[in-house]
Amino acid sequence: MLALLTLALAVAPAADSTPRARTIAVDERLATDGKLKLGDKVVVSAEPGGAGDTLVIAAFVKRSADPSEVARAEYRVRLHLADGQRVLGYGDRVDRFAVATTSDSAAGGAVARINASAFGFRAHRSAEIAVESSRTFAVIDRFHKAIGVITIVASAIFLLCLMLLRVDARRREVAALRLMGISERSIVGSVVFESAIVAGVGSVLGVGLGFAASAIVNWYYQGVYRTPLVFSLVTPGIVAFAVTLSVILGLATGALAARRLVKLPPLVLLGR
Amino acid sequence: MSDAPRSERAPTVSGTASSDRARAAGDRAGRDIGDAQRPVVLATRDVKREYTLGAETVRAVRGITLEVREGDWVSLVGPSGCGKSTMLNLLGAIDRPSAGSVEIRGRDTATLSDKEATLLRLREVGFVFQRFYLMPQLSAFENVELPMAEAKVPAAERKARVMELLSYVGLASRAQHRPSELSGGEQQRVAIARALANRPAFLLADEPTGELDAATGADVIALLARLNADGTTLVIVTHDETLARAGRRVVSLRDGQVVKDEAT
Amino acid sequence: MIWSMAARSLTRHRARTMLALAGIAISSAMLLDMVMMSSGMRESFRELLESRGFALRLSPRGTLPFDGEATLGGAAALIAALERDTDLTSVAPVLGGSVHAPKGEGAVTAFGIGLSPEAQGDYVLVRGRNASAPDEVVMNRAYLTASGRRVGDTLTLAAAYDPQLRTFAGVQRVTIVGEARFTYLASDQSAVALPLATLQAMRGSDGRDRLSLVMLKIRPGLDPDSVGARIAREQPRVSALSTRSAVKQAEERLGYFRQLALVLGSISLVVGFLLVSTIVTVSVNERLGEIAVLRAIGVGAPRIAAQVMVEGLALALSGATLGLGLGLVTARWLNSILTGFPSLPDHISFFVFEPGDALSALGLLVITGFVAGALPAWRAARLPIARTLRTEAIA
Repeated sequence: MLALLTLALAVAPAADSTPRARTIAVDERLATDGKLKLGDKVVVSAEPGGAGDTLVIAAFVKRSADPSEVARAEYRVRLHLADGQRVLGYGDRVDRFAVATTSDSAAGGAVARINASAFGFRAHRSAEIAVESSRTFAVIDRFHKAIGVITIVASAIFLLCLMLLRVDARRREVAALRLMGISERSIVGSVVFESAIVAGVGSVLGVGLGFAASAIVNWYYQGVYRTPLVFSLVTPGIVAFAVTLSVILGLATGALAARRLVKLPPLVLLGR
Repeated sequence: MSDAPRSERAPTVSGTASSDRARAAGDRAGRDIGDAQRPVVLATRDVKREYTLGAETVRAVRGITLEVREGDWVSLVGPSGCGKSTMLNLLGAIDRPSAGSVEIRGRDTATLSDKEATLLRLREVGFVFQRFYLMPQLSAFENVELPMAEAKVPAAERKARVMELLSYVGLASRAQHRPSELSGGEQQRVAIARALANRPAFLLADEPTGELDAATGADVIALLARLNADGTTLVIVTHDETLARAGRRVVSLRDGQVVKDEAT
Repeated sequence: MIWSMAARSLTRHRARTMLALAGIAISSAMLLDMVMMSSGMRESFRELLESRGFALRLSPRGTLPFDGEATLGGAAALIAALERDTDLTSVAPVLGGSVHAPKGEGAVTAFGIGLSPEAQGDYVLVRGRNASAPDEVVMNRAYLTASGRRVGDTLTLAAAYDPQLRTFAGVQRVTIVGEARFTYLASDQSAVALPLATLQAMRGSDGRDRLSLVMLKIRPGLDPDSVGARIAREQPRVSALSTRSAVKQAEERLGYFRQLALVLGSISLVVGFLLVSTIVTVSVNERLGEIAVLRAIGVGAPRIAAQVMVEGLALALSGATLGLGLGLVTARWLNSILTGFPSLPDHISFFVFEPGDALSALGLLVITGFVAGALPAWRAARLPIARTLRTEAIA
């Protein structure tokens, strides 16, 4: 039962003479913006200027962490079913029931039984509804992955470039080692080891930076959208992927660049 | 320098070489007539140079007075650390004295701005380095052309001058080769041609044979001798006794001071 | 000679130059995409709203057009008042709601739009004609397909369907007289347009004399916001929304994409900056001896700085040019992903190429290249000649 309600906020303080106070729970953003307190009375109507119903604020509710709600600025209120039906002129009707089952495995059977026996009802599993209502987020997820691919390619190239430069900067050192009789294998090994250390330390710093960036993103967007929704999440899987990728790239580049250097005669490396 | 055509016509190599007087000054017999007749191109008066190395103050040059006249060939010799290279830097307006003065054709280098000193080096000083320092990405032709392009010499004139100089050092046929395609001796000859590009007042060379084997070094010495005979003023820092003796005058330095100044 | 030396310096280390170019190309492609995205949605949405010439939209006070189920009562009086308004040249009332066509044992549902066919801005006729009689409708391809009908067919439409009793309410027998493409709906979203009075009647008490929205064209030269504000004052039950305000509100809702574009665009610039500055710094460090010699033989400090900066600029410019092409390809790919949003009108595009945007992206990258080259260039120009020559000789 989703409908637009209008709240008249300028109301008199609660009166003790009310035999049974009919109550409402309001969005805490609305409470903040409308300077509402618990116990205040509000008039709720289905359309602007329409005949309303007076209710007492009994609770403030936090906005749920629902991605589909995040960009919407509207306030939400929760009414008792009977109050909602009356305010909206809905009669003895509801939009849907939520049914709890004894276990997750029982849900499938319950859906089948209801659909087979109930006349005119359709039962759906919550997961199916979630899939349908999260189509928007599936698109955003695909978009983020695409951006991720581009970013990874760019970072990989950046890393390759840096590693190449690092190894190239050691031309004279490598030449000196070769002239001293150190084997190509040892030189490549030492360069690769160094590259692995650099890539590893770099990734650890990167993970730290990632956590910090994630915290800033969450702090900022949670403030902007006034929602507890977590926008950025650094999972162990992401950390593992990032560290593995950078270490592999670091090793591969170090090996490649080192092999290129040791194949050149030492005197060429010295610029002679 | 077996491939250097020794019969090649001498190019106009110094700043005043276009005049008959310069050619006369380049003539050894002419020089013998009297030093006082030849103008001073380079003069230092009680020049000192100190610099700090960590916590220590190094007194590299401790009061040297020197005069170099047009057509001279002066060799600066001495043990390592005696101040030869510092002196060369001071004479070439690369470095400034801590005290005293260095004058290039009467201009005190200490009074020059960076821009003026750069221009002075471009037009009046020719540098030759031990390790040649040619631009690896440029051909021999372009390396010689570079100072002229910087001095805004017209392109046609530049081309003619480059070929004249490369012919003089015996490398006309190697004009389009990159430094990496030239031997050490050839690279040093290109470096000498580059140093002469803008007809400098004098040529400063820092160990020009230091990186070369004896035979190639001898070729370079012969080239320098020919240049001096053709009128180029030379100041050369060297450990090489043969090269030092090839000049007219040897100035020996020790601990930043002149200990001997003798004609050869 | 500066260009030639800079170009040859870059080609001295081909592998690293190619890698740097590839990195800069990807950064600039990303930057271009983000610049396209930051303005693309706005421009695309504006074009969509302006495509039919309606500059103002009236909806129940406090709501956005079709953002909820709220409707306006007293439709006839409101329309009459608006038609008397001399600032307005066209008044297009709209009532929206679900309509159902029986099919088999169930029904196929579509979005029904009640409107005045002579002044409507919701669809473009593909074939057939407008619905002029109360029992005529126009459908889009999706609904024709879903209901298994063709233009010329007659069918029953209902305003309500009770799946419990499998009964229809607000039934109307209609003839399909045309096929249309609905401007503000996705092509896979079933839709049917029918005369306003017909849909109002079908919805019974819910629809009687009610409207969801009124679209208005105003006289040329008038400010839509001012006209809207005046109408909202005169008609306290409505909110007036100009195209400009609608675009602004849409931007606020899609602020996430703009901010993402800003963040990723900034990261792209930083990556481009780091690449150029790293390559140029390393290149300068490798050539300290050469630079000192150039200074010694009389090449001026500004010339040295210019050569280093030219290297940075050449890298940035070449990378950015490559990135331009790459950016257009990736923009197409990213757009194909984002246009998968459910119920997105066909004409909305997230990435719109504007030559100005491309120039901005290119310009930003080139400025970045310039700035990135500036520090190493300054260092190179201020190199102490004597000390560097000594150090290089020792090395």
